[in-house]
Amino acid sequence: MEIRLNRKEFLDELSPMQGIVERKTTIPVLSHLLLTAREDKLHLAATDLDVSLTSWCDAEVKREGGIAVQAKKLVEIIRSLTGEEVLLTQEESRELTIRAGRSRFKIHGLSPDDFPTLPAVDDGGNVPIPFADFRRMIGKILFAVSAEESRFQLNGALLKLKAGAVEMVATDGHRLALVESRLEGGTGDDAVLVPRKALQELTRLEGEGKLEYRRGEHHLSFRLGRRELICRILEGTFPDYERVIAKDNDKKLLFERKTLSEAVQRVALLTGDRARAVRLQFAPEQMVISAANPDLGEATEEVGCDYDGPEFKVGINPDYLSHFLSAVDTERIRLELKDENTQCVAYPFEGQDIRYLCVIMPMRI
Amino acid sequence: MARIHLLPDYLASQIAAGEVVERPASVVKELVENALDAGGREIEIQLEHGGKSRIQVADDGSGMGRDDALLAFDRHATSKILTFDDLERVATLGFRGEALASIASVARVEMTTAEQPGDGHRVSIEGGRVRGVEPYARPRGTTFDVRSLFFNVPARRKFLKSPQTELRRCLEVVQGYALARPDVRFLVLHEGRNLLDVLPAGATGPRERIGQIFGTELAGRLVAIPEVSEAGRGGERISGFLGDPETARGRRQLVFVNRRLLRDRAVLAAFYRAVREEWRSEDFPALFLFLDIPPEDVDVNVHPQKAEVRFRDPGLIDRVYDAFRRGLERARGEEPAPLRPPVSEPYVPFAWQGLGQMTQPEAWRRGATTDLPVQVTGASTSSWSPPERLAAASYAPVERPMVPLSGRHGEARPFRLLGQYKGTLILLEGPDGLYLIDQHVAHERILYERLRRSLLAETTPVQHLLTPLFLEVAPDEHLRLLELAPALDHCGFGLAPLSGNTLGVTAVPAVLGSAEAEALLRTLAHEDHEGAAAEDLRRRILEALAASLACKAAVKMHHPLAPQEMESLVAELFTAEQPYACPHGRPVVLQMSDADLERRFGRR
Ligand SMILES: Nc1ncnc2c1ncn2[C@@H]1O[C@H](COP(=O)(O)OP(=O)(O)OP(=O)(O)O)[C@@H](O)[C@H]1O
Ligand SMILES: [Mg+2]
Repeated sequence: MEIRLNRKEFLDELSPMQGIVERKTTIPVLSHLLLTAREDKLHLAATDLDVSLTSWCDAEVKREGGIAVQAKKLVEIIRSLTGEEVLLTQEESRELTIRAGRSRFKIHGLSPDDFPTLPAVDDGGNVPIPFADFRRMIGKILFAVSAEESRFQLNGALLKLKAGAVEMVATDGHRLALVESRLEGGTGDDAVLVPRKALQELTRLEGEGKLEYRRGEHHLSFRLGRRELICRILEGTFPDYERVIAKDNDKKLLFERKTLSEAVQRVALLTGDRARAVRLQFAPEQMVISAANPDLGEATEEVGCDYDGPEFKVGINPDYLSHFLSAVDTERIRLELKDENTQCVAYPFEGQDIRYLCVIMPMRI
Repeated sequence: MARIHLLPDYLASQIAAGEVVERPASVVKELVENALDAGGREIEIQLEHGGKSRIQVADDGSGMGRDDALLAFDRHATSKILTFDDLERVATLGFRGEALASIASVARVEMTTAEQPGDGHRVSIEGGRVRGVEPYARPRGTTFDVRSLFFNVPARRKFLKSPQTELRRCLEVVQGYALARPDVRFLVLHEGRNLLDVLPAGATGPRERIGQIFGTELAGRLVAIPEVSEAGRGGERISGFLGDPETARGRRQLVFVNRRLLRDRAVLAAFYRAVREEWRSEDFPALFLFLDIPPEDVDVNVHPQKAEVRFRDPGLIDRVYDAFRRGLERARGEEPAPLRPPVSEPYVPFAWQGLGQMTQPEAWRRGATTDLPVQVTGASTSSWSPPERLAAASYAPVERPMVPLSGRHGEARPFRLLGQYKGTLILLEGPDGLYLIDQHVAHERILYERLRRSLLAETTPVQHLLTPLFLEVAPDEHLRLLELAPALDHCGFGLAPLSGNTLGVTAVPAVLGSAEAEALLRTLAHEDHEGAAAEDLRRRILEALAASLACKAAVKMHHPLAPQEMESLVAELFTAEQPYACPHGRPVVLQMSDADLERRFGRR
C-alpha cells in the first residue's frame, strides 16, 4: 500500500480499537490491527474473536494493499508523531513504513491472510437507538454483570427491544439492575444477551446520533457512523428476572443519594475483605449503618431518612449498594424493603427512565 | 444334662438370614439381582418408608412355573448352579439359593409370577412358611412384595436408620446396577414419588447411562479407558471411563466386576497409585471401571453379600493399573494437573520435585544409578510439568547473621539466611545442611493457619441468592444433601429441592464464589457423614475455605523479598502447627543434608 492520510483522523479511529485487542493473548495476530487500503479509504479492523470493531478513514490511496500490525505500537507511534499528515507505505509485504515530518518508522507486521475473517451481520432491518441514551443505560447496569466465569450466561446483559422502549437487565446472582428507556418509533419484540466486553467497548465508541442495531444468527452488529462493533451473541437462558423484583415490599425509605453513598463507603472501611457486610437498622426518621470485624474493629453512622414504619434491620453487601448509588443520577433515592430475608429494591426518585431499579439480596450476619 | 441342642428351624433361618439381609437395601439388592438373572429388561422398584415397611420389585423376566415358585423359597434352592464345578464359574449374580429363603424368614412376602402371560401364580409367605398358593393372571415376569421387614426380629429393626437414610442406601444399590446394565430400564418410586427413571440407553450405552444418573455435565467430562486386546487373557475385558481433573470434586470411583458393583481394595489402590504417578496429584477423578473376566477367574463366593471378590490371576491388577495409566494420560488433556505429590513423609531428603526442570550434568546422572539416594521425579520422568517454572532470574546474595529459630516445641536452632533463589526459593544454612523453602507454599501455610483460626472464631455472613444456583446430582447424592440440609444451613448454605435430581442453592457463605460453593457441596454430597455434627461440618467447610483463600493471597513465585521479609516468613513458618506441608499437601521445605552434599562431592 501507499497512502497519505490525516493523522488526527487516523488517531481518532485507532483509539477505540485498543480496547478490543487482547493484551494477553496466545494467538499473536489478535494483538494486531488489520489495515487495508482500498479505493479512497484506509479500513481498520480489530478483533478478539468474540468482539470486533471496524472503521475507516479517508485517505489518498496511491497503491492498494493490506497488512496486520501490532496495535499498541501503532497507536503509540501515531500518537507521538507531530504534523498533520502521515504516509503509510509497504515496500515489502510484511513491513509498514510510517512517515510524518522528519520521522520514519519501519515496523514489522503479519500477512493480512493471518488475520481472522470477521463475522458479518446481514444488512437486514436495523433499529436506530440514540447513542447517548444507550450509553447511559449501559452505565446503569454494567456493574451488575457477573464476572464469575462459571455462570457464563450471566457474563452479559439482556437487551430487550419492546414497542416504544428498550430495556437492559444484568445480574450476577446476588443483585440485579434493570433499566428501561423510551425509544422513539421502537417496534418489535426481541431479546438477546450481549457479552460484557461488547457493552464496555460500546460505551467507548465516541460519537453522536443514532446507533444502528442489527441482529444476525449468531452475531450482533452495532453501527455508529463509520464504526461498527460486532459481537457474538451470548448463548444461554437468562433468569426469569421479573419474578425477583419484589413488588410488595411495604417499608419505603427516601434518602439523599450523596449522603447515603458517602456514609456507606465510610462504614464499609471496617468490613473485612473476605466477606463484606454492613448492617442497616431502621427506625423512624433514621437509619444506622454499622460494620464490625473481629480483626479491625467497628464503625457506625447515622443517616437521616424519610421513614415512619416499624424498626427492623437487614444485612447487605455495602459494595452492591454503592454501585447503585454511583450509577443512579437523581438527587434522592428510594429503598423498598420487607424483612431481613427479602430482597431490597432500590429506585431513583423521579428519574428520567421509564424504569430503573436495582434488586439486592440481603445477607445473614 | 445335655446342653447342646439343635436350633429350631425358624431360628436357624433367621440367623442365616442375618448374613444376607441386613437392611432394606440388602433386600433390594437380592431382588434386583434375581430380576436381572431372570433376563428382566424393565425393573420397577417401589418403596415405602425407606423400604422399612414395603419393598416391591417387579420384572418382566422369565417368570416361574408353579413348582419352581414354591421351591424358590427353600434354602439352597437355585436354578443357577448344579455342580461344584459350576460354582467355579458363576456367570449369574445369584448362585447360593439363599436370598429368597432369607428374606422370607424375616418378612411378609408375596410373590406373583408367570412364565406365560395370563397363566401365573400367587404365593404368600410369612416368617418362612407358605401361607397360600393360588392361580393368578398377570403378564410374563415376577413381582415380589416384601412388607414389614424384620417384623419378627425386633433387635434388627432397632438397628435400622431413618427412612431417609435407608432409602438412600436402596437407591445406591439400584444406581449401581443401573450403571452396570445400561440396557435395562430401572424405575424407583418412593411412596409414589419418582426418584430414578432411566430408559435403556442407546448406542452410546454406558456413557449415556452415566449421564442419566450423574448428569450430562459429568458424562461430557469422561474419556474412555483405551482398551488393548492382546495384553489380557482370553475373554478378559477392561473398559470404562475416567474423568478429567475437574471431576475430582465429585469423588465418584465405581468399580464393576462382571457387572457387579464392588468395593475392591486392590483395584482402587491401583487407581490411586496410577493417579499419583500419572498426574502427580492427590485429586482423584471420577472412575467407572467395568472389569469383565471369565467367571472361572474370579471367586465370588467369599462374602455373604458378594461385596468382595477374589481374582485368581495375580497379573490382572497390573493390567488394570496399565489401563488406568493409559486412561489418565488421555483424561488429563492439555492442562497439566496441579502439583500435589503425596505427603507420606514431611522430610524429603534431597528430592527435587517442585524445582521444575532440572538440567542434570551427565556425571550426576551416572552417579544416580549407583549408590546415591537421589530421587529424580517430576519433569524428567514424565510429560508432566509443574504449573510454573523457575524463570532465569538472578539470585540475590545477602550477608546475614545467624538467626536462632525456635520451633513449636521450643527447640532453637541457628539458621543463616543465604538469600533468595530466582525470586522463588528461600535458601537457609542450617546446622545440619542446606534448606530450601518454597516461599509461596510457606506463606500459604502461614496464612492458612491464621485464616482458619479467624474463620472458626467469626460468624461468617451468608449471602442470599437472587435466583438459585442449580446443582445436578445423582439421586443418592440428592438425598444425602437433603439429609445434611440442617447442618449445611448452619454453615450458610440454603438448599431447596427442585425438579428431578436438581437442587437449588438459595444461599451461600458470603466468602465463597458460586463455583467454590458448588465444588464444596459436590464433595459433601458424596461422602458419608452419618453422625457428623453440624459443628464438624462447619469446621471442614471453613478449613477448605481457608486453604483456598490462603493460596490466592500468598506471595507468588518470582517475587523478590527483602531479607527481613524472608527471615520473618521463615520464623513464622517454624512456629506453624505443620510447617512441612501446605494445606494441599505440597512440601514446603527441602533439605540437603551435609552428609548428602559430602557424598555428592566425593568426600565420603
Ligand atoms: N425374579 C425372578 N424371576 C425368575 N426366577 C426367579 C426370580 N427370583 C428368583 N427366581 C428363582 O428362584 C431361585 C432362588 O432365588 P434366590 O435368590 O433365593 O437364589 P439364587 O438367586 O439362585 O442365589 P442367591 O442366594 O445367591 O441369590 C433362583 O435360582 C431362580 O430360579
Ligand atoms: Mg438371588
